[in-house]
Amino acid sequence: MKKPLPPEDAANRPFREGAGRGVLMLQRCLDCGRHRYPAARYCAQCRGERAEWVETSGQGVVESWCSFHKAYWPAFEPEIPYDVVQVRLEEGVRLFSNLVGGAPRVGLRVRARFEPVTSEVTLVKFSPA
Amino acid sequence: MKRELAGRVAVVGVGTTRYGKLPEYDAYDLGMWALKSALEDCGLGFEDIDGLIVNRIADYQRFGEIAGIDPRYVTITPGQGRFSGICIQTAVAVINAGLAQTVALVYGNNGRSAGDAYGGASDAYGSGGGGLWFPYGMTSPGAFHALMMRRHMQEYGTTTDQLGAVAVAFRRHASLNPDAVMRTPFTLEEYRAARFICEPLRLLDYCLINDGGVAMILTSAERARDLKKPPAYVFGMGQASALAGSTFPPEDYWRAPMQKVAADVYAMAGARPRDMDALMIYDNFTPTVLFSLEGFGFCAPGESGPFVADGRLALEGEFPANTSGGHLSESYMQGWALNVEAVRQVRGECGARQVPDAALVQYMTAAPVITSIIYGR
Repeated sequence: MKKPLPPEDAANRPFREGAGRGVLMLQRCLDCGRHRYPAARYCAQCRGERAEWVETSGQGVVESWCSFHKAYWPAFEPEIPYDVVQVRLEEGVRLFSNLVGGAPRVGLRVRARFEPVTSEVTLVKFSPA
Repeated sequence: MKRELAGRVAVVGVGTTRYGKLPEYDAYDLGMWALKSALEDCGLGFEDIDGLIVNRIADYQRFGEIAGIDPRYVTITPGQGRFSGICIQTAVAVINAGLAQTVALVYGNNGRSAGDAYGGASDAYGSGGGGLWFPYGMTSPGAFHALMMRRHMQEYGTTTDQLGAVAVAFRRHASLNPDAVMRTPFTLEEYRAARFICEPLRLLDYCLINDGGVAMILTSAERARDLKKPPAYVFGMGQASALAGSTFPPEDYWRAPMQKVAADVYAMAGARPRDMDALMIYDNFTPTVLFSLEGFGFCAPGESGPFVADGRLALEGEFPANTSGGHLSESYMQGWALNVEAVRQVRGECGARQVPDAALVQYMTAAPVITSIIYGR
């Protein structure tokens, strides 16, 4: 029983490779400077097409959280109830993830931590800052 | 929509199937069953349909072939609940523009028999599906609403007992509705004992998953007068969206787009929230009811919890809501059956759950596309 892995799309490879190196990478618009994730050809703010991948601090705040009592995949069964946190990074990008080491609460300051799940795949999780 | 368009189009026929588990019917069959019933309701025939909008049914061409019709206006929409209101508003616009005279709206949902789970590998809720977040165990529209509710609780002190008040009220309404799937009333204590699905939401905060079909027939006010049942006029309608960034819950609980829709729908109808005799509020999950009441101005931002806790949404309350039992207890027909209930209330056909003298009934949905419709006689 395996948990689902992130999709292996080419567009978001820099994010996945960054996680493998212990760095939280985001796409940044070269026209307006705003960050985004997942990757997109056009910036949703200024519609510019030029972008680069940049390293970020991995710092953010928990905006909300919920606790799953139902396992939608058998592999999550042993972990229920488990929490999912909604994190807003300093760069304004939002992610769903899990909190490691500590109880979630709205407003909690967190920083990214990197959790290898296979020899190739590392997930971006968070712990209290 | 402009004030002068108020009441120019009416719902003349409504049809519903049985609700529950109907494995011998696919979505096309359920749509046909409902459409036959809607035509019977208004005394029109298949040959009178010159506009067709299908929703959640996979293929409009196949449906037209099954129904044996050649409408001159045809479109098809995705199987998301927000599209019931969109389809009805499109039908009004199509009729007002002269593209068709009599539009059939047909919805078929065999989600229960097809095993739809609304979470896990097949989860397509949101924008482009949630595959990126599956490794973290994030999935399902229920979790999305649980995240919104948690923030509302933190921000305003809203409680799960206040959600329970909504669930209890709608189930009581369902107990008066012979067509409802879930008819056994429960107490707040029983609500509290229900298991969590995605905390803070419990099983009784979630809509049902069942099979069924709904159809509506709309035509111009002039044509409507000669038909079998009294017309339910569309006096107001409005639509807005919040698509940017919509993979994540909106920070304002969709309040800003709801306020836009409220301004439009009430201006077109020449009415105010307190003029509504009954409300049909899209209740995919109980928190949505709270967010809708705030967005449409029935209470101030943050005050929906106390607002619903003292019986205001009950049949004998100030704003009887979801008198059929709604998605929580009647049937998960993705807004369609709530619109039908609005029409039946306006006609006075609701029996034990009839709101006395219901002249104006408002449908509303809070989602990335917000719609509202005011029906009246």
